[in-house]
Amino acid sequence: MRQFLRWWPVPALLLLLIYPWVYREPYFHVVGFNVLLFATMATSWNIMGGYTGYKSLGHSAFFGLGAYLVAIAANRLGWNPLWSAPLLAVIVALVAMLLGWIMLRTTGSAFVIATIAMLLIFRLLALNLRSVTGGAPGLSQPLPPWTPEFSRMPFFYYMLVWLIVAVAVSAYIRRSRFGLGLLAIRDDEGKAEMVGVNTTLYKVLAFGISAYFVGLGGGVWSYHATHISPVFAFDIIIGVEMILMTMLGGIGTLWGPALGAFIYIPASDLILFQFGSTTLHLAILGLLMMVILLFLPQGILPTLSEWLEKRRTPRAAHAGARTMAEMHQEKAESRADEAGIVIIQK
Amino acid sequence: MNLPSTNVLIQVIIVGLLTGGVYALMSAGLTLIFGVMRVINIAHGAFLVFSAYLSYWLFSSYGLDPFLSVIVTVPLLFVIGVVFQRFLLARVRNEPGLMVLLTFSLALTLEGLMGAVWQTTGRSIRTWYTSEVWKVELADLTLRLPVVRVVGFVLAIVALFLLYLLMTRTDLGRAIRATVQNKDAAQLVGVNVAWVQALTFGIGLATVAAGGALFSTIWTFNAGDHEEWISKLLSIIVLGGMGSLPGALIAALIMGVAEAVAAVVMTSYLSPIVFYLILFVTLILRPQGLLGTVIRKG
Repeated sequence: MRQFLRWWPVPALLLLLIYPWVYREPYFHVVGFNVLLFATMATSWNIMGGYTGYKSLGHSAFFGLGAYLVAIAANRLGWNPLWSAPLLAVIVALVAMLLGWIMLRTTGSAFVIATIAMLLIFRLLALNLRSVTGGAPGLSQPLPPWTPEFSRMPFFYYMLVWLIVAVAVSAYIRRSRFGLGLLAIRDDEGKAEMVGVNTTLYKVLAFGISAYFVGLGGGVWSYHATHISPVFAFDIIIGVEMILMTMLGGIGTLWGPALGAFIYIPASDLILFQFGSTTLHLAILGLLMMVILLFLPQGILPTLSEWLEKRRTPRAAHAGARTMAEMHQEKAESRADEAGIVIIQK
Repeated sequence: MNLPSTNVLIQVIIVGLLTGGVYALMSAGLTLIFGVMRVINIAHGAFLVFSAYLSYWLFSSYGLDPFLSVIVTVPLLFVIGVVFQRFLLARVRNEPGLMVLLTFSLALTLEGLMGAVWQTTGRSIRTWYTSEVWKVELADLTLRLPVVRVVGFVLAIVALFLLYLLMTRTDLGRAIRATVQNKDAAQLVGVNVAWVQALTFGIGLATVAAGGALFSTIWTFNAGDHEEWISKLLSIIVLGGMGSLPGALIAALIMGVAEAVAAVVMTSYLSPIVFYLILFVTLILRPQGLLGTVIRKG
């Protein structure tokens, strides 16, 4: 059983690989692409919002920026989005780091405001710099070269690759010294700085990385959508959906954001199908968000593992094993020993 | 870039000040709520648009003058605010990040409901005085002042003065100010902080209902507009210093003038960018705002 739990990504990956051949309708390919796109972006958002604790409400700015850069490069320079998206996302990450350097001087609520304002600046610029962005009507892109039969399948596999990369990066960060620094910033920024974490550098880097995959996703999305406009590319809802999925799956966990996307996207697609003729789907999205915040604030994965531990603990205690609290304390002390820190008991 | 003549500039600055007064009323509740609860009410813009729609509905269905509709909208939003704070926000009070997201989810819900009820086309209220203009002769220049802006400004100042009296002359006001200064100390000396927070949220929404009535006479409104409005209002309270009422008034006047001047110098489409640029500069140079005090995290 434990072995299976360790290796579950392998069968999951196999299922994803055969999915487009089992469900051959283009509709399923589009939903599948959206799931992978948002899983990638939510995983990316989580590096800043989950690990570091700075919850950005304006990540759609990077989504839109990536989308526009890719569309402009495709139109003016003839660059193929499939290789230009990961390249141009580097520019998105650099822009994010520059803006992050300014915005991360604020904390908590003020940071949230700054990110919303950043998004609106981008949207206003996209609407008004008509010679570059095409203004409100937006930009069109060349269609993909492959036959309509395959229309969405390449996008699906392409995004699957990037989801794997994003999860790998997120996992690597989680285990690295850098990631520990980010978690320390989330728990107590003042203390993190005291023990020698370069908080400004760490936060700006994390912000850049978390913008990278969102910018990339925006670039791929613009190729997939073939036409983009400021209202859709710089829609605050896209950023909110990343947050919602992350919170649904488990904020600050490795797999939570992706799990959230796999549940949320098909569900929201159903809602849109039922109520899409009016704006009622927004109200349902809002209510759904409220329910998650009130009743599942930690998300599925942490709640599930807590529940599993609770079920295990009484039996273990019966067998004369140590209590969870003792185990945690010992674990913390052994970790602290490695790091050369002395824990002072209160 | 086109530089206006002095005449036009004076006219623009005065209209900007009049608009700023209305902005001050619209953002007063936001800064008050932040001061007491340390939470940003992202739904403030949605409630602003919602109360504008209520005034619109009362006007179009019952012929009630939008300026008089506050008799209905102010108590209604007060009750909504108290209920929302008591039964939803207070449940997650330990996590400011979650509270911000919760107010955002409320904004989204309101936007969806408003769009479903009043569709997504822009609405505006046209009364007999909507296009009236007062001409004021001052020495050798003639000012043309839209009546709704002047009346809106005067009513906003009256409402702010009432809020000022409430804050300084009543026990509730003293309890609110005590909670702003130090929540735990206020609790220790016998202030029922939980109720103060709920009532403050109610008062905050009551002021936005008054602001929404003025808003409905001046601007066109649409359910989706709330994002832009909350961003403008947030820019104002950050510039003024979050939690400071006098700061919000000064910042609102500054923003009103800056936006009006920008609309003439640049284009009116791009003029809202002034808000966000001022916001960014404030965050870089003086994160605590004009009249704010430095709040340390943790």
